[in-house]
Amino acid sequence: MNRSASATRAASAAAPGRPHRGRRPSPGLLVAVLVTLALVVTSLFVGVYDLGAAGGGEMFLITRLPRTLALVLAGSAMAVSGLVLQQLTQNRFVEPTTSGTSEWAALGLLLSVVLLPTAGIATRMVLASVAAFAGTMVFMAILRRVQVRSTLVVPVVGIMLGAVVSAVTTLLAISTNYLQLLGTWFLGSFTSVVRGQYEVLWVVAAVCAAIFVLSDRLTVAGLGRDVATNLGLGYERVVLLGTALVSVASGVTTVVVGFLPFLGLIVPNVVSMLRGDDLRSNLPWVCVGGVALVTACDIVGRVVRMPFEVPVAMILGVVGAAAFVALVLRVQRRG
Amino acid sequence: MPSRTTNRRLVAVLTAAPLALALAACSSGDESVAGGTEETAESAPSTVTIEDNHGSVEVPVNPERVVALDNHVFETLSAWEVPLVAAPKGIMGDGLWPEYTEDDAVLDVGMHREPNLESIVAAEPDLIIGGYRFSDSYDDIKAQNPDAVVVELAPRDGEDQSSELVRQIEILGQIFDREDAADAIVADYEAAVADAKDAYDGESTVVGLITSGGEISYSAPVTGRSIGTLFPTLGLEPAIEQAAEDTSHGDDISVEAIAAANPDWIVVLDRDGAGVGEGEYRPASELIGGSEALAGVTAVAKGQVVYLDPDFYLTEDIQAYTALYEQIAQAFSGAA
Repeated sequence: MNRSASATRAASAAAPGRPHRGRRPSPGLLVAVLVTLALVVTSLFVGVYDLGAAGGGEMFLITRLPRTLALVLAGSAMAVSGLVLQQLTQNRFVEPTTSGTSEWAALGLLLSVVLLPTAGIATRMVLASVAAFAGTMVFMAILRRVQVRSTLVVPVVGIMLGAVVSAVTTLLAISTNYLQLLGTWFLGSFTSVVRGQYEVLWVVAAVCAAIFVLSDRLTVAGLGRDVATNLGLGYERVVLLGTALVSVASGVTTVVVGFLPFLGLIVPNVVSMLRGDDLRSNLPWVCVGGVALVTACDIVGRVVRMPFEVPVAMILGVVGAAAFVALVLRVQRRG
Repeated sequence: MPSRTTNRRLVAVLTAAPLALALAACSSGDESVAGGTEETAESAPSTVTIEDNHGSVEVPVNPERVVALDNHVFETLSAWEVPLVAAPKGIMGDGLWPEYTEDDAVLDVGMHREPNLESIVAAEPDLIIGGYRFSDSYDDIKAQNPDAVVVELAPRDGEDQSSELVRQIEILGQIFDREDAADAIVADYEAAVADAKDAYDGESTVVGLITSGGEISYSAPVTGRSIGTLFPTLGLEPAIEQAAEDTSHGDDISVEAIAAANPDWIVVLDRDGAGVGEGEYRPASELIGGSEALAGVTAVAKGQVVYLDPDFYLTEDIQAYTALYEQIAQAFSGAA
């Protein structure tokens, strides 16, 4: 990966006084938005229940609209989270499921269920997010001590950490008799999203907004501690803030829909490949891309086995694994 | 040369013939002796030959030290006051069979995924009733307990489950010399099935569901967990007809699909009902009865939802099915 070149590009984009690519209305983005909008509208009208039949309108409000909103919120949040983590770790292969963040969120969720069985969903979200934050900080701390920071070592460290945490979660689940539930919880699926079940996801909309506000600082932080400090950035603070935002997004998404593997990996990488590495002007693209990918996968999951559903995580897993390998091969070829 | 061979043959025949006769006599004598022991054995049998899931097995009658691993048999053994020396207490629920789960003398085999097979060896059993959740450990159990008889009686996949339940209880009756008691259990079961069949109007549509972890899944006719067997046994009309991909845990289905199928009846297995009863657990009655999207479905609107006993996931024995068919018979006739 050509980090220095992209860094220069990013720095020039972030530097004040220069024309900003993102400021110009981009026809490309408009097309992307329209395509995504088409997918979102399709999603509203894909389903088993005949909306024209009696009670169709009511059903639309009970299941279709909440589900599509959940797709938009979770999709954009996880894709943006991936982008932020990639900036903070200066590595293209990092996202919540390859940094262990999601696994920590899962552990937090299980702990909340075991320790506070009567707690409400808000408490669970807080605990899952706190666990995700703590875990991501552990990941960052380990990264700082790792000398060999080649492209692939970083995600391997994250995946290893995630595996260790998953093992602890599984052990805890076995000893507390929650193993049966574990699979159902963490397999990302929008099947059970109905009115009254998804509303907490609006929290991630706030996270996305905060990331937009912070985007320039995150871009500078992505240049590394030394450059960022030279440019007058409170590097540690920005890293903490960015990690916290990603943790909240992962925690909330894990509690409501489960894991969405590779979403944060594919979307930012494809956007970078097409547009270069300017976080600020890429953000809307990543948001839109995340929504489009997760919505498309969910539509496929709903259609292939009608009237049954295939969890979106399975489709994402297949698409994502293929994309991951393709990206690795691309990086290898470039040397 | 030829004469020599003929001679040899002759000699061979001459010597062989009486030998053969003698052998025949001997063997017939043996037969009569064997017949004799069998006759005496019938009055006080010490072993009985049964057909388990793996073939013919000779089992001691009324074995003293019994290990049971299959959830289907605990209810029967409990009713017949058969003591156990080891049992998987983790999958026996709380308070279902306290004489086994709360007795420290009964060694704990643990959960099926992380079994403590050593405790079976330590219990020095004469008979091990394995299988079902423990069927993966069959070979290990057999190898580690050469002195014990190992049988598997759980309903086999692909067989008519109703007759498999009957087969299981009849074999238990033979082993524990309670054939009359076993017949009575079978009679109860068949009566319940007949009642439910009579109460069914023959055309109302039914859908089987499984709830777990706050999610609703679909239990397919015939093969689906617990509920599937109701369809062939009672001749129920399925509201959604599709083969199952995950027979034991059910397939991912949206409330919309259930609403679109608009079943007259819903039968629900609450998979978490007996295991964990707190926290994230959302009871089936809340998931289905409390669902906005399902409120307009005939089954929910008319209160025609049959919730299986919360312990059903841990019992699944012929007694549990008897109770279920009685419950269904009552529900069906109440609606008619």
